[in-house]
Amino acid sequence: MAGVMIVEDDAALRELLRDSLEKRKYTVITAADGREALARFRPSVVDLVITDLLMPEEDGLMVIMKIREVKPATRVIAISGGGRAGPGSYLLMASKLGADHIMSKPFLPSELVQKVKELLG
Amino acid sequence: MGAGKKIKSSAGLEILTGGIAHDLNTVITTIYGYCELALESAGDNTGSAKSIQAIISAADRAKLLTGQLLDLSRNASIEKVPVPVADALKDTINFISPSVPEGIRIILNLKTPDAWVMAPPARLFRIFLNLATNAIQAMRNKGGTLTITVENGDEAEGEGTAPTPGRLLISFSDTGTGMDEQTAGEIFKPFFTAGSHSGTGLGLTVVADSVRDLGGTVDFVTAPGSGTTFRIIIPDPFFGPLPEKD
Repeated sequence: MAGVMIVEDDAALRELLRDSLEKRKYTVITAADGREALARFRPSVVDLVITDLLMPEEDGLMVIMKIREVKPATRVIAISGGGRAGPGSYLLMASKLGADHIMSKPFLPSELVQKVKELLG
Repeated sequence: MGAGKKIKSSAGLEILTGGIAHDLNTVITTIYGYCELALESAGDNTGSAKSIQAIISAADRAKLLTGQLLDLSRNASIEKVPVPVADALKDTINFISPSVPEGIRIILNLKTPDAWVMAPPARLFRIFLNLATNAIQAMRNKGGTLTITVENGDEAEGEGTAPTPGRLLISFSDTGTGMDEQTAGEIFKPFFTAGSHSGTGLGLTVVADSVRDLGGTVDFVTAPGSGTTFRIIIPDPFFGPLPEKD
């Protein structure tokens, strides 16, 4: 089954997304910030990355750039709740960096799971 | 309340409301998610399903509120008000001082201490903060001095730069590593980062965009080993006391 990495600094949301995806039989790896994500990323296992954008340490934009360098075929969904530059701006930057899909929080996790399914075929 | 206080409170308002909205949106997403899972588990139990729907409705209302908070944050960031440049710079220095490493000095040289401009305070603060942070980053290993100078363009005698009459010059001059020609040619590009420090590489892009919004320009002089001077040129500055509030 395809592998998904969830990069989210909010533990409750991270675990919820893990539950939602594992229920659909995806292999899930989680990370609490960008630095941990880059350390735990395994090209052979991860097909899609769901990353928050505003996080401590390395942020989501850096995650997208570096993961794409390692494995350009990795699908990316960027999620953001707003903050420094407003959700539109940060999500727009993620999109320019090549995120396949962007979602502004709050969203229904079922919508996210559906998008994962579409992107992974 | 002094104008300096206003800068701090306006910049703080943008950061505070944006931060709260961000965190709340994450919490609301979690609420939505567990409601979805609970609805699946509720099955034919209409009583439970109705209660869960009520939670979702409450989350919907919270979502509207966070949207309003983000609108408030954005509005606070674009309203132009009279801003004393000296106060804005002092606020910036006070803000970063706790994180400035030993061996780095910051000198504020106010040749025109009464200069003020019409600008969104939070945006001006962000311009100054980004330039000061970059300068400190460039001196992090060996220490040095950041000199921030404010002067009237009519009287300025720039080093290798022409005077700019009728304009306000704000320069950030560091004694750090400086940049080679190739690096210097890239720094305003989005996502470009010089050095190994973490960051999005958006700082100078934000500076250039924000200065442009004020009708100004930003340029720089640099050489490897000789430090870097960024120069912001803002047209139509004012000098003297601030206008009275209506």
